[in-house]
Amino acid sequence: MMMLKVKSPGLYTTVQDLGRYGHQAEGFSPAGAMDYRAFMLANQLLGNDDNAPGLEMTFRGASFEVMQDTVIAAAGADMALEIDGDAFSIGVPIPVFKGSLVEFGAAENGSRTYLAAAGGFRVDRVLGSASTHVRSGIGGYRGRTLQAGDVIRTGDMAAAPGPFRIAGIEEEEAVRVIPGQQYDRFNEEMREKLFGEGYTLTKDCDRMGYRLDGPVLEADPDPGHDVLSEPTQLGSIQVPKGGKPIVLLNDRQTAGGYARIGTVARVDIPKLVQKQPGDTVRFEEVSVEEATALYREEMEKIRDGGYLEINNDFRSHVRPTAGKLARIMER
Amino acid sequence: MDIRQFAENALTIYMGDEIDERVNRQLVALRHHIEGMEVEGIDEIVLSYTSLIIYFDIFKTDARVLKETLGDIDEEALLEEEIEYRVIEIPVCYGGEYGPDLGNFQDNGLSEQEVIDLHGNKEYLVYMLGFMPGFPYLGGLDEKLHKARLETPRVRIPAGSVGIGGRQTGMYPFESPGGWHLLGRTPVPLFDPGREETILYAAGDRIIYRPIDEAEYRRIEEDIASGDYEIKYEMKGGQ
Repeated sequence: MMMLKVKSPGLYTTVQDLGRYGHQAEGFSPAGAMDYRAFMLANQLLGNDDNAPGLEMTFRGASFEVMQDTVIAAAGADMALEIDGDAFSIGVPIPVFKGSLVEFGAAENGSRTYLAAAGGFRVDRVLGSASTHVRSGIGGYRGRTLQAGDVIRTGDMAAAPGPFRIAGIEEEEAVRVIPGQQYDRFNEEMREKLFGEGYTLTKDCDRMGYRLDGPVLEADPDPGHDVLSEPTQLGSIQVPKGGKPIVLLNDRQTAGGYARIGTVARVDIPKLVQKQPGDTVRFEEVSVEEATALYREEMEKIRDGGYLEINNDFRSHVRPTAGKLARIMER
Repeated sequence: MDIRQFAENALTIYMGDEIDERVNRQLVALRHHIEGMEVEGIDEIVLSYTSLIIYFDIFKTDARVLKETLGDIDEEALLEEEIEYRVIEIPVCYGGEYGPDLGNFQDNGLSEQEVIDLHGNKEYLVYMLGFMPGFPYLGGLDEKLHKARLETPRVRIPAGSVGIGGRQTGMYPFESPGGWHLLGRTPVPLFDPGREETILYAAGDRIIYRPIDEAEYRRIEEDIASGDYEIKYEMKGGQ
């Protein structure tokens, strides 16, 4: 049984998979990896199933002691990675050996990094999912964020990882938005504001939702900003009285009572959730048909390995091999 | 039928614009009807007060096909469908440490016992669930019990607490902050991951709060711990 021991948990590290579905009618938030693309890519590098449980690290990564040889891979925000004091890049599979110290630093170019291990992290599933939902204390590792001293099991190698690395991800700058349930409550002037200069991410941005600052959006006074509680969707942009939008994300409440001007297109969710407080987000309108086509293309590209390329940089292989040789020699 | 789409993988069907038992009955019947159709690609159906959301897998079906399939359903005929529902009994110990706000209804002109009499032994309709896992939005609270929320919300409300907030009554399956007046608490776990039905009720079911004393609260707690407690419910409706 492979194991990692948490030395330092980082700022906010949880076990996630692609989410807990089929229970929204009972009020369970789907939870799941915020940047589903980075999550899937980290698993792909190891030949894991797309949905194999991994760790989501936020802003500042965790450090681990390796208790048995395994292979890991990270994807998402570029967190400085050191193994026994040597620098490694993320986005490639890395063999790690018993006794090694794996340390992630602060996130650059993004806010979330996913750590996958060969065979996935092993936790009990709740309602079919390994995702942690901290607010209700369910799923993942004891329903909470990781803490120093936690020992988390990993699986066995499913397949030998290929010689791949994650290719650079290029994407359009704007975050596209599908007109929402109460779009009609916002007049032309308000829509122009929404799709204008952009909004700034406030400090109140977490797995539940992102509160934005920028032009105030006023709904028509009658019926106003309140609605009868209605199910929320991933990316629902709620506009409460006060006019500052809130984008609902993975840990959202399953029902909400504020007017929804739009829904962030799924294809652009990874881009949005990698932004940091203080960053600007600019919205652009898209039809639901176009958003669907874009999301379908994106998922096909991820699943077909369209974000991977052959890794010609052998430095990431050489060091661990040398390390292992050194260890064998010591015996 | 008003079918609309606000997300790539979801269709929303609106059936009304206010909280209404008839609309709820229609929505429950619609959910039942759609489940019976066994349409390829439908992942889950979520009810709210006035609408129903169908989540689907965009790799197995598409919105156009679903709209065509669902568009033929006769809304009026739904009201004639006989749908079974459960009436679930939730034992509640009112007052004391379990319900520290039971005495707050004096300004409504009600003694503690009168609050219990008005609140307990009465069927409440579960319109929808949300806010937190297993939190029921219930209909049927006596007007005399309507009461504005606490001015200062509590930081911690224990799981199982039963309370009133504004025109609503309900209960907290998980510990949570909140501004409701707490009338009592149930020893029955509203969420239990080890139970076949992790949440005891669904939209369309009814809930009855049965007043119990502290001794019975303890007994039920013990029975639950030893696995001897059976949830009491009755099936109604249907043929």
